[in-house]
Amino acid sequence: MRRFLILIVFFFHTEAFSQEYLTKDGEVVFLSKAPLNEFEGRSNSLNGLVNLESNLLDFFVDLNTLKTGIGLRDRHMRENYLETDQFPFAEFTGKMSPMPTLVLGSKTAVNAQGKFKIHGVEREIEVTGFLTLLQNGKVELHASFEVLLSDYEIPLPKLVFYELAEAQTVTIQAILSQKKFP
Amino acid sequence: MKKVILLLVVLFAVVIRSEAQLERKLENENQPVDLIFHAPRHINLLTVEHLEKKTMHFAIMHTFGTLDGGIENLFGLDNGANIQFSFEFGLSDKISLGASRSSRDKFYNIYGRYLILEQTQNNSVPLSLSFAAGGGIISNPYSFLPQNERPQFTDRLAYFGQVMLARKFSKKISVQLSPMLAYFTNPLDIYQIEGSQNFYLGLGFSGKYKVTDRSSLTLQYIPNLNSDLQSNFGIGWDVEAGGHVFQMYFVTSQALNEQYLLAGGNGVPGEEFRLGFNVNRIFALGQKKK
Repeated sequence: MRRFLILIVFFFHTEAFSQEYLTKDGEVVFLSKAPLNEFEGRSNSLNGLVNLESNLLDFFVDLNTLKTGIGLRDRHMRENYLETDQFPFAEFTGKMSPMPTLVLGSKTAVNAQGKFKIHGVEREIEVTGFLTLLQNGKVELHASFEVLLSDYEIPLPKLVFYELAEAQTVTIQAILSQKKFP
Repeated sequence: MKKVILLLVVLFAVVIRSEAQLERKLENENQPVDLIFHAPRHINLLTVEHLEKKTMHFAIMHTFGTLDGGIENLFGLDNGANIQFSFEFGLSDKISLGASRSSRDKFYNIYGRYLILEQTQNNSVPLSLSFAAGGGIISNPYSFLPQNERPQFTDRLAYFGQVMLARKFSKKISVQLSPMLAYFTNPLDIYQIEGSQNFYLGLGFSGKYKVTDRSSLTLQYIPNLNSDLQSNFGIGWDVEAGGHVFQMYFVTSQALNEQYLLAGGNGVPGEEFRLGFNVNRIFALGQKKK
């Protein structure tokens, strides 16, 4: 009985120092580089989870929080391209392979595979990013990948070809804090 | 033992929870509805589409001569257009100030808009409500008139006010009702208006029916409520093309600003239709370049 309790306490103990890192205010930037018009959209509401123990990556952003600097353009983007009233989130769920070993203070390249979903379309993608274990126990994440609008059934009419790029460069950046056990 | 089982259950719950994905949650439950209309203007009327802070809306609007001249007059394009330029600046996300100039009577107008309510996707606010008002001056010098017969400054003023009440009923259908009023300090015969009253009351109706992702069939109807003047009627097509919104339409009047729309000069649909064409563009101002 006592041994059992010790075991449980031990479990709680490891749980309290879990290898689970979280953020709610990561940064997402997409860059559209078309012949006539270059612009970027930005959100500081990236929610993310990196679990170094169970090897789980999970990220999502509410696309309504993306801002390009021009309100009407944002509304056109949400209404006609991303259709956020039906598909409000961009999501990525996956795992790291191989599992990286993080060394304090050094930037480690990480290869992630998983499902990326936007506009209701889910696709397997592979992303190379960087994780850095910081002095304060937090983890810094940096990754960049390309999204082809046609892959996700986001139509690009000929009329706007010069203003909106087919390939959007998405960059994410976040500092994740170790999950505190409640 | 019971305690242990309880602890185990709690433990499993914790483990399961930490294995699970994050819960997908909207940042703002009351997300406003997007694009009740394609642009801050719809044919000739202002809409509830507002400007964000530090953005500028530039619109060029044209209405040409009547279509009945046929190909000889290129369906009215030869007859000289009424052209209006307007610039509107977003002072905040709800308030904007604008200035326009129409070539008809060389009319300068200054106006403002205030967005009071914004329809939300979850219907916690069922409609958008906006208010607009402005004043303008007829700047045509009338230099062909003898000095003492030319209109004085106080004869040249005209004001308007309107409330815009709009709802996006579905992804395809949006409707706006705009009770409007206009006041001319002295509606002289020499002005290109048909009414001779000082005060005009109208009810603007704007409709949008979305046909493709980026284009819509548009409708405008402005019955006069306190005069026998012909009501204004317009039907058109809106196209979003990148940063521009193009609006092409057939309309019964050459009038482009609120005061002139209410003071008449409307033809009968079918007889005195004319082509109209607007270009809308929104710019961002005062933002850092990378």
